[in-house]
Amino acid sequence: MPSLTCDIVTPAQLLYTQECHMVVVPGEMGSMGFMKDHAPLVSSLADGIARVYSDASTVAQTYALQGGYVQVTGEKVIILADRAIPVSDIDLAGVQAQAAELESQIANLAEGSSERALLDIDLAWCKVQEHAVTA
Amino acid sequence: MPNLHDIERRISSVNSTKQITRTMEMVSAAKIRRATERMEASAPYSNSMSEMLANVASRAAGSDNPLLQEREEVKRILYIAVVSDRGLAGGFNSNVLRHVEKDIKAKAAEGIESHVVACGKKAISFFSFRNINLEMVFKDLSADPTVEEAAAIAIKAIEGYANGEYDKVVLVYNHTKNAAEQVLCEEVVLPVDTSNVSTPADSSDDNAGESTAQAIAADTIFEPDTEAVLNGLLPAYVKTMIYHGLVDSAAGEQGARRTAMKSATDNANEMVETLQRFYNRVRQGAITTEINEIVGGAAALEE
Repeated sequence: MPSLTCDIVTPAQLLYTQECHMVVVPGEMGSMGFMKDHAPLVSSLADGIARVYSDASTVAQTYALQGGYVQVTGEKVIILADRAIPVSDIDLAGVQAQAAELESQIANLAEGSSERALLDIDLAWCKVQEHAVTA
Repeated sequence: MPNLHDIERRISSVNSTKQITRTMEMVSAAKIRRATERMEASAPYSNSMSEMLANVASRAAGSDNPLLQEREEVKRILYIAVVSDRGLAGGFNSNVLRHVEKDIKAKAAEGIESHVVACGKKAISFFSFRNINLEMVFKDLSADPTVEEAAAIAIKAIEGYANGEYDKVVLVYNHTKNAAEQVLCEEVVLPVDTSNVSTPADSSDDNAGESTAQAIAADTIFEPDTEAVLNGLLPAYVKTMIYHGLVDSAAGEQGARRTAMKSATDNANEMVETLQRFYNRVRQGAITTEINEIVGGAAALEE
């Protein structure tokens, strides 16, 4: 069976590498699916969920992603994400609590400060995770 | 002539110092492995990132992204000095700090203003002692640099550069050449120089980089378009570069400390040996004197 390799990489580590049938990623202009021998492509990604299919109908693994790129070659899909976590590992209650905490911190900070920009990113990441679990 | 007791005390003091330095050496040796693993773990990302950027940039030549624009007149420089939180690592910290200080003075003479971001407690104390203003400080992270730390620095640098607060951003850190050797490394982070993007990622290692190099073929599709990809890629690249510097420096710190502690242990060994010999000589001298006195006394009685 034709297969392609999917790598999910974050700045800190190579998170996941697996042979698979198809990969679906949240492209900036909508979801994109890649199978073997796809034309070479580089795209920026929106925050969302990447699905790795082990065969045509089975989802082997889902990952929540924030900020990143996908690079596709004939045999390989490399997802470069700022942050990524397997959806099964997300602790929903913990994430919601963290989001609430961040929101209250953000409320105390001035608009446009760089601390605030950082917290906004953290908050967005919480939202992505929350959405990934509940969706 | 010092008495025997004094020498004994010195020997035991040197011995206990030796114990400490030897332990620190072993601790660092264990930490090197972890730090190196982290460096290797970050390699796939930074390699792919560099490859991608090199490729996109060559396609989007003439882009007017502010991060690519070189300023004609450099008036303000931001230094990012990466050192450790702890000392006892030989010249590890002072190499970087002195270099930055010297640079700042040289630039000040040319009328160029310098700003500093300090990573590591040693940098904080060094610069505040010299009344150099710090834009941003990070401590307690030198052994375990985080992506968040790198992101915070990157955001600061990018915003500053885009607003015209800085005309150039320079990262100064110790590059780990191998486990025993560190070389001072100065990299220009901003403006991003796309002509040599692939240098920071060690091109020698791993085949992942190679495969992507040939893989990004001429007919690659960019989505939404090259310009948009490039604009998104540049900040991420800056962040990666800074993170790479932090991780590299963390590995170097352990290496430097191990080397420093090893030579300290060797030194202590040598010192104990010398002292022991001195101790024996003094003891023998005392015995000889005593015998001489007895023999002399006995001879005096016989007469």
